Formats: sequence, structure tokens, C-alpha cells
Amino acid sequence: MKSAQKRAAIALVGVLSVAVTLTACGSSEEPAAEPTGPVTIEVAIDAGLEPEAISAFEERILQFEEVNPDIQVATKEFTWSGTTFAAELAGGTLPDVFPIPFTDGRALIEREQIADISELVAELPYADQFNPTIAEAGQDTDGGMWAVPISAYNQGLHYNRALFEEAGLDPDNPPATWDEVREAAKVIADKTGQAGYAHMTQSNTGGWILTTETYALGGRVVEGEGEEATATVDNDATAQALEMLREMRWEDNSMGASFLYDWSTINQDFAAGKIGMYVSGGANYPNLFTQNQMNPDEYGVTVLPLEGDDAGTLGGGTLAAVSSAASEAEQAAAVKWIDFYYISKLTDQEAAVAEAEIAARTDQPVGAPALPIFDQATYEQQQSWIKDLVNVPLENFAPMTEQMFDQPVIPEPSVATQEVYAALDPVVQAVLTDEDADIDALLADAQTQVQGLLDRS
Amino acid sequence: MAANTRTPALARRRATRPERPERGIVSSHDRRRPSVRGSLGVLQGGLLVTLVVVGLGPILWLAKAAVTPTQETLRDPLGLFPTGIDWANLATAWTRAEIDHYFVNTLIIAVGAWFFQILVATTGGYVLSVLRPRYGNVIFGLVLATLFVPSVVLLVPLYLTILDLPIVHVSLLNTFWAVWLPMGASAFNVLLVKRFFDGLPREIFEAARVDGAGPFRLLWSIVLPMSRPILGVVSVFAVIAAWKDYLWPLLVLPDPAHQPLSVRLPAIAPYLELDVFLAALAISTVLPIALFLAFQRLFLSGAGLGGAVKG
Amino acid sequence: MTTISSPLRATAPAPPPPSPTRPRRARRGTPRQWLRDGGLSTLVIALPMILVFGVFSWFPIGRALVMSVQETNLVTAPVFVGLDNFVFVLQDPLLGKAVRNTLWFALLALVFGYPLPLAAAVLMSEVRKMRGLFSALAYLPVVVPPVVAVLLWKFFYDASDTGVFNTIAGWVGLGPYPWLQDATSAMPSLVLEATWAAAGGTVIIYLAALVGVRTELYEAAEVDGAGVWRKIWHVTLPQLRGVLFITLILQVIGTAQVFLEPFLFTGGGPNNATLTVLMLIYDYAFGSSLGGNYGAATALSLMLAGVLAVLSAVYFRVTRPWSS
Repeated sequence: MKSAQKRAAIALVGVLSVAVTLTACGSSEEPAAEPTGPVTIEVAIDAGLEPEAISAFEERILQFEEVNPDIQVATKEFTWSGTTFAAELAGGTLPDVFPIPFTDGRALIEREQIADISELVAELPYADQFNPTIAEAGQDTDGGMWAVPISAYNQGLHYNRALFEEAGLDPDNPPATWDEVREAAKVIADKTGQAGYAHMTQSNTGGWILTTETYALGGRVVEGEGEEATATVDNDATAQALEMLREMRWEDNSMGASFLYDWSTINQDFAAGKIGMYVSGGANYPNLFTQNQMNPDEYGVTVLPLEGDDAGTLGGGTLAAVSSAASEAEQAAAVKWIDFYYISKLTDQEAAVAEAEIAARTDQPVGAPALPIFDQATYEQQQSWIKDLVNVPLENFAPMTEQMFDQPVIPEPSVATQEVYAALDPVVQAVLTDEDADIDALLADAQTQVQGLLDRS
Repeated sequence: MAANTRTPALARRRATRPERPERGIVSSHDRRRPSVRGSLGVLQGGLLVTLVVVGLGPILWLAKAAVTPTQETLRDPLGLFPTGIDWANLATAWTRAEIDHYFVNTLIIAVGAWFFQILVATTGGYVLSVLRPRYGNVIFGLVLATLFVPSVVLLVPLYLTILDLPIVHVSLLNTFWAVWLPMGASAFNVLLVKRFFDGLPREIFEAARVDGAGPFRLLWSIVLPMSRPILGVVSVFAVIAAWKDYLWPLLVLPDPAHQPLSVRLPAIAPYLELDVFLAALAISTVLPIALFLAFQRLFLSGAGLGGAVKG
Repeated sequence: MTTISSPLRATAPAPPPPSPTRPRRARRGTPRQWLRDGGLSTLVIALPMILVFGVFSWFPIGRALVMSVQETNLVTAPVFVGLDNFVFVLQDPLLGKAVRNTLWFALLALVFGYPLPLAAAVLMSEVRKMRGLFSALAYLPVVVPPVVAVLLWKFFYDASDTGVFNTIAGWVGLGPYPWLQDATSAMPSLVLEATWAAAGGTVIIYLAALVGVRTELYEAAEVDGAGVWRKIWHVTLPQLRGVLFITLILQVIGTAQVFLEPFLFTGGGPNNATLTVLMLIYDYAFGSSLGGNYGAATALSLMLAGVLAVLSAVYFRVTRPWSS
């Protein structure tokens, strides 16, 4: 009977998985010096890539396998997402190597939910050269690096140069204060009919950007770390940021008609020329360019205006982590892959050029600036290796690159980050969709709620 | 899973309904009066126009927008005819946006869900109605009891069960089994099929038994062939339900390679150009509409009740 | 469901009682006797049902009861916490909001989705020709996959003055409306789409019920000189009472579990204006990348189930006279 076959199939799946689990458990002993025999690892590849980007990725795999004949690399589509990550972690369906945001690193390490690769990472030649504030995101309390920072971003003010010109503003001279941001937004809205300044509000991004604006105005939403973390959501800078949003939305009417943006939808509308300015990660360019086909000539980015004492730019980034289910041999291979695929293009001339050549040939952006994960010198050297291959309009990035190294970078809240952001989403939404929203009351509520979140975690 | 929102009772009721009456609210005498006739005609004409605009309108709009360039859809969303038909949208959606892949996933999910619903409902109904073992009543009671448990209660514990099956400790996450098997546990289907079997003449079963047919043979050669109508009903709604399902596959199929259209469409929306996206929406609508047109009587005879209330 | 009943009625006008000649197999006997009677085959045939229901229905239901009094994450072993989860949920300021929103959704769904299908069905029942066309048109939106419907309407709801609905509103000098982008109008916008998607099913139910209205009563009313409206009011509607009540309960049960529309249209926003109970459950369980509060999620779903169970019980009580 068919049902019998199906049941047999289930049972077979069961047996296989048990076997896999046993293998994983059986090998948790001392790290072997060299993996014996061939090993296969599964590595994450971004979901939804264009065919060119996929073939570029596969080309890199071939190069890697050539250098490491003992290692076979398989790919698995994976894009980190807050709603499914916990399940994939618990369900054991993650690839062996996968990216996670800075915000999750500490908690995963503390609970030992990712593999401890710190000994393997320590052997890498650049292990002690990471920018210390950035390295922290992937380290345990003793400084062992369980997850390797592979990219970092600082927040920036992205703007549409075409809309700036249409509105009679100078795209080479973007706003440098928040008052100028507000003025420019109004001019853009009046002259072009598009949103002058748009704001993310959904899926925790509202809190993320509000926190960014708070930092830029010299405030913090959480003070202290670990057990001592206290909520400071109800502070003057946050109130000032919200007041500014309220004025732009309801007095200037310069924020357009959409107030339910998340990261991908705001990028989509920005690339489509519906948004004059918005705040987001400085490393947004690849997404705008490859996935949303933005015209590079229309793209502009500058640093956030910083006002008040203690003001700084919010920074974050991505870590590469290894599945806790990976065997010793797989862990070793995984670290080699991280070194090869994510890091060597930043530290090694040959690798940097090879990577850039593939990217350039497959129409991927080359040379879009990002926050360095090592020091500024390493970063500038890397940029100089590939400068002949750069295919992005560097002059459009100049307002950002000329100033970003002078700005202090402030990490995201270290405890319950995503939950804190989630609690702030409704605050931003309220200000943007309710003309009579009481900012003080909203902040007082959010303060209580965030403190509750911190106390629980 | 949302079995409690379906109504076997109503279905039964209509099974015994009288033939369509000769008359309705308006008597034939009234119908001859011009004023009544006129206002009835106006009202019904108005209703027809409304139904066309509201029921068919958005679907026709989607069909048009699927072959209209983005800029035109944005500039003149309500233009009746596109200036140039852009068939390439459909091809782009099908290949570049990988709608083909997700379409196949949706089919796999629908067919598998159909198979398990039919398997569980027929064998279950057969055991409970025809074979009647001693433990049958207990099982029937337990099956009926699940009708009272709304699907929302199952959401989290069923999800954790999928992550780690009892006894065998296997995760079904990112496998189609995670969608197929829970859909098989439909008390409504078992009830429907059992009731149908209850109505089959026992004499035939006895005769077959006397001829030496075992329970398997009786099921396969006698009961199932007599049950085509009920299997048809269960089948069509199994496929439709699988096609519609969103939250459950979203949870248990986080890997895009396994996701059906319903889960994938919202996720890829931000990355597709509008015209291609609308083409993808149109493609996803074609099969359910074709099923509806093919089995119209089944849907409109009231069996479509399950779809009337979303749960 | 005439398609089911016709062969049934043709072959078996009345389901016969279990044949007296049938051997009683439910006999207390030895395992060997059980085997000889085909007990094993019966068990094998029952196995798909027992396994599937056991693992994917009965076990999770039991587990829900246990989990609601446990703190469960996916990392450490579950801990018994008594009623803490229920206390946590009841103290969550979002619960009140979610309950109010869900009730608001249900109420709006009744206002939009109750009288119109009834009026349409009454009118359609008087159609002599092309009734099939009417019903097919009314039912068409029900067939559109819900996700497609929501995504399509999300585009229609574009709040700029070039949005589809705002363009239409502009023709008669109205708008532009913010639709989903405003805390006040977001919920009605969701309900409008949900009504569009579901009303066809309700129309079909009413149509079927209208066929069963006893027509001799119309004649009696006519003898009393009743006009069309009085006939509808005094004859049609009272006879539809049962079905009207059932659709009411079904609709409330359905709307109490609404998820798709707020999740895809607004993500519960703006400012939690469309956060529903099921969305709150989802957020508890799946809102954090570092593992959900599964205990709170189950506790809330059990509370919701308690409310729904009362409604279901009422529903089954009302429908039982028809099904026996």
C-alpha cells in the first residue's frame, strides 16, 4: 500500500536524522589538527539573488575548492530573518556557515547556540586586528571570538540626487543639520510631489531608525550593559526626534503618504524615485542597485547630522557564525570558508582583486563604501587595490566617505535589541499617523515597556 | 484544521431540501404588474452591474495589469486598455522571479495534502463506519472532539511538534511533510466520509464478505468505487485549502526553496518590478479560478461553505 | 451538497440499521480470536488516522495544556511556572488593545458583511434567468487566493492621490484617503477587503436557505394583502433565522482568528491599530529571533479557545436538530 511506503519513508528519514545527530554528538572532542578525509560544508547564499550573482558565488566556490581539495562546498539559500531564525536554529536546518546581525551575537554565544570556533579563529593572521568595538559583537565575555565580523555599517542619510535637482537643491551639498534636512524635505515635497523625508516603521525598523536619530541628537535608548541595562527611552533627544517627525509630517506635509515601510519596501520606493531622503544603513547600496535597479547616478549618501554632546552614528553589522551541529572537521572547513569568502577580499590583494573582477564582470557593484571592520588603513589599502575595477559613482559617495571616519560610531543596544526596537515601532507609527499623538505619553509608555523587556532578559 | 468553521450540518440540511419552488417572494401575479416588474428589473440589473464591477472587476484589472508596463499601470491605473501589451511580463515572472519553482512547490503541497486527507478520511471513515472495532467509538469521540478545538490552539504546540516529533525526534521543518501530515488530521473530512459510508447499503458489504473479500479488498474494490462523489468533494476542497494556506507554510517552510506561492509572493514583492509582480499574482490566481469554473456546481451548491468564513 | 446525496438516496432511501446477520466481532476473546476476526487488518487500516491525528492533533492539544503552565524555550528544559504565563498575558497592555481590535474587526465585519449578502441573496433568489451567472460572479472573489487578494488590494490602497482607489474617489471629488496609513481608517480598510473576499460564500449560504423557505406562507401573506417588503420582513427573514444565526456565529469564530489581513496589510500597525489576538499570539511565539515566549502564546491561545468553544457549543446546539 502507498501509505506503507510513505510511513516507511518517514521512518527512514527518522533513522537518517538520528544518525546525523549521533555523528554530531560523537565528534565533540578535542579539535583535530587537520581534517582527515574529504568534508562537505553547507554555506549560506543570499536568497533571491539574480542569476549573475549566483554564478559569481559559484565561481568563488570553485576557486575555494581548488585551494582546499578536501572540502566540498554546497550552498543553501538563507537570508537571516527575525521571525524564522529561532525555528531554524532549533530545527537544525541552518547551513553550516550563516550570517547573523551584530544584535544577536552576544545572546547566541552566551547560550552556546552557535559553535565555539574561537580557537580556529585565533589562528587566523588578522585575528587581533579587528576594530575592537566591532569585534565585541562576536566575542564571549573572555574575548574569544565565536562569530567573525564580516561587514559593518554606519547609518547614513540616503538621498535621491535627481529629486534634489528637480527641487532646485544642490545634490553635492546635502543637508548637514537636522534643520536643513527638514527644509530640504519640504522643498522636495513642494516642488516634486514626492516624499521629502521617509521613515521606516515596521518589523522593528521604526525602532532602529528612531534609535539612530536619538544617537545623532546625543541621546541613548538604553544605558548600561547586561544586568545593569536600564531603559532611557524617555529622553530629550528621542522626544526631539519625534517632534521633528511630527512637524515634518503634519506641519510641512513633507513625508509622503506611506507610513508602513520596512527595510525592503522603503528601498524599493527610494529606488523608484518616490523618496527624497531617508535614514538607513550606509551599506544599502548593493540592495538598491542589484535588487531594485536604481540608477547609480541618482543615488547620493551623506553622514547623519550630529547635534548635541555625545552624539554619534549608530553602527551595526553582520557576523559569520558556524552551526553548533557542525563536526570538528566541518568547523575547521567552515572557518576556512569564512576566511576565504568573507575576509580575504578585505585583507589580501589577490583575493580582493579576484573578487572585484568577478563582481564587475557580473554587474555587481564594486567599491561601494562600508564601515571598515579592521582599521582605516587596511580599508583604504583594500580600496586602492581594486580602484581600477570600481563601477560605482564614487563622487556620489563623497559626502559620506569624506566625513564618516570623523564620526563616533555607537553600537546598538546590547540587550534584547530587537525587542526594544519592536517596542519603539508603534511610537514612530503613532506620530506619523495620528496628528494628536502625545509624544510625552508615548515615550513614558515605551519607557515602562522597554524596562520590562530588559528586566526579563 | 479550521474544521470548526465548517458545517456538515448545513450540508446535510440541503441534502434533504425540496425541489426549487415554483415561486419566490414576488408572486407571479405581482410579476405581471409593470411597476413591480420594472423595479425588480432595475434592482436586479443594478445588482448584476455591481457584481460584475466588484466581483469580476479586480480580477480583470489584475489580468490587464499583468500584461501592462509598470509606468502605464502607475500613470493610469484605471485605463481600460493598455497601449501596448507586454507579454514578456508573464515570462519574466515565470522564469526570472522563479514563479515556476514556487508554482511547482504549491502543486506538490496541494497534491500531498490531498493524498493524506483522502488517505486518512477514507481509511478512517471506513474503520469507523464499516469495520467498527471496539475502540472505534473512543477514536470517533476523540476525532469529533478536535472539531471543537480552534486551529489557533494548535499553532504553537504543533509547530514545536514539527521541530521535534515525539518518539522519533526528527525535525520536519523545511520538509513538505510538515504541511501534508497536519492537513491530514481533518476531523471534518473523516466525519463527512464516515457519514457517507454510513449511508451505503450494508447488504453489499455482507455479500462481499461471504464471497471472501477481506477488509482491504472490500475498501478498495467495493467502498471506494461507490464513494466517488464524496471523494470528489473532499479532493477539491483539499486542493483549494492547500492553495490558500499561508501562516502554517510560512512557519514550517522558512527555506525559500520549499515555499509555496502564498508564502513567497509577499516576500518577493519588494524585489520585483510592479508589472512583473502583478503578473506573478495573476499566474497564482489562474489555477484556483480554473478549478472553480470546472467544478462550479460543487462550489455553488453550498459545499464551498468552508471558504466562506476564513479561519 | 446534492452531488453527494443523489447516489446515496438512489441506492439507500433510508440507511438500514446494522444488519442482524452480521457477526458480532466485538467479542471478548483471545488474541488469536482477534486476529482471526481481522482485528489486525482493521488496526492497520485505522493506523493512518490514529497516527496522523495522534501526532498532529491529539498530542499537540495535550501539549498546549502543558505548555501553558510551563516556561518553554527551545534551549533549556521546560520549567513549571504555574499560572505565570496567564498572568503575563493578562498584564500585557497590548492584550486589551488586541481584544478591542479583534472585536472591532468582528463588528465591522458584521456591519459590512452581514446585511449586504443577505440583500443580494434575496434579490438573486428572485432572478429567473442566469441565476448561475449571478452566483458565479458573487463567488469569484472567494476563489482568489487570500494572499493574492491582500497583495492586490494593498496596491489598490496606495495612499497617494494616484492610488487606484484614490483615483476612483477623485472622480467624484472625494479623497485622497489614507486607507491603511492611518490608525482610524486602517481597520475598516482591512475589513472591506476581507468582506470582499468572503461575502460570496455567505451569499451562497443564504441563497440555499432561501430555496427552503415555505412558499405557502407567501400566499397566506398575500391573502392578508402584504406587499413585497412586508413579505420579506414577516415571512422570509423569520424563516432564515436559523441560518442567519449560524452565519453570525461562524463569522464571529472566523473573525476572532483573523491574521492574514493585518499581518500582510499593516503588520498590526499603525500604532497597533490593527493588532489582533492571533497576531499577538504570533508575536509572542515568533516575534523574536532568539526564541519565542511559547508559554505566553499557548496561554493566550487557550483563553481565546475558551471563548470560541462557547460559541462552537452554541453553534452545534443550534445545528444538531438538522444533522440528526
